[in-house]
Amino acid sequence: MEFEELKKIWDAQTNQPLYAINEKAMYNLILSKKKQAYHIINISELLLIFVNISSGIFVLGVNFFKQSENISLYLLSAWMLGSALFMLVNRVRRIKGDNQFNRSMSGELEHAISMATYQVRISQIMRWNILPIAVLTALGLWESGKSIWIGLIVLVFFGLSYAAGGWEHNIYKRKKRELEVLQKKLASEG
Amino acid sequence: MTEKDQQQIFDDWLDQHKALIFKIVRAYTYTAMEQDDLFQEIIIQVWHSIPKFRSEASVITWLYRISLNTAIKWTKKERKHPRSETLEGVEHILQESKLQTDERLIWLYEEIYKFDEIDRSITLLLLDGFSYKEMASILGITESNVGVKINRIKKQLISKSKKPDHYGI
Repeated sequence: MEFEELKKIWDAQTNQPLYAINEKAMYNLILSKKKQAYHIINISELLLIFVNISSGIFVLGVNFFKQSENISLYLLSAWMLGSALFMLVNRVRRIKGDNQFNRSMSGELEHAISMATYQVRISQIMRWNILPIAVLTALGLWESGKSIWIGLIVLVFFGLSYAAGGWEHNIYKRKKRELEVLQKKLASEG
Repeated sequence: MTEKDQQQIFDDWLDQHKALIFKIVRAYTYTAMEQDDLFQEIIIQVWHSIPKFRSEASVITWLYRISLNTAIKWTKKERKHPRSETLEGVEHILQESKLQTDERLIWLYEEIYKFDEIDRSITLLLLDGFSYKEMASILGITESNVGVKINRIKKQLISKSKKPDHYGI
């Protein structure tokens, strides 16, 4: 068979779409992404609250029992406890907001996008939050006269955490964009 | 460009050129899960490409460029991290058309699938009537390279079509 004949066979498919789009499957996919996001948000919030409370109490306790006058470490402790409170308030507001979405297809989709947006926002805030914590830690170490090497190691650690935070934030942004495009595709099919 | 404009263009493109994306999905995938995954990836990239589209290129050429490059990247990623499982009983986004498909066309897709990812692209573009220049521009390779590959692809397809073991070709 010559190539021109193969081309004729190929051209004949133009009027016959190879697939049909299953809207229900697309909707289910969006729902499964929503469930996944919900699970990640829940774990992240609890983890951030726990880590900030425990670190804040630890720093405060050590400072207090050592009768240290290191202001930076007291500020660091207060900042961490404040971060935990901020996270807690956001969690409560988010859970309350969840009830505003109805169980219809469009409501579920809006909810999925809203959760993805929340995830992106929280990951960005928590990434920025590394900066004041790093500065206060560095000042605390300097005030307590620790070696410059310890200070450098701590700063490298925070630098790596900041980079990892950026990477995580980009993953959430990408997931949110994917969800939005799928939602738009579903809207255009409907 | 407002989001409403972008949505309008997205709807129009997908409405008019869905078949083009389907062809690429079909040529680059084997299982239904892979088809769903690549289809999603392509439509996401198409959506993001809309603000970058300049009207001096035709929409079809643009969609081919985006879709083929996405499919090539997707294939490389799949090769590095192959899927281990297929989920049974899961509804898939893309469902095979119920229309009777020409068995010779099925054979042709199977043969295209056996090529490497660049040759698959060239075969699709060739069958859809693109010039060497357009193919070179879409795929980012030289025209002479396209020419060499096309000669080889044509020879392979013609020679395989002459073997007696498939679908009356």
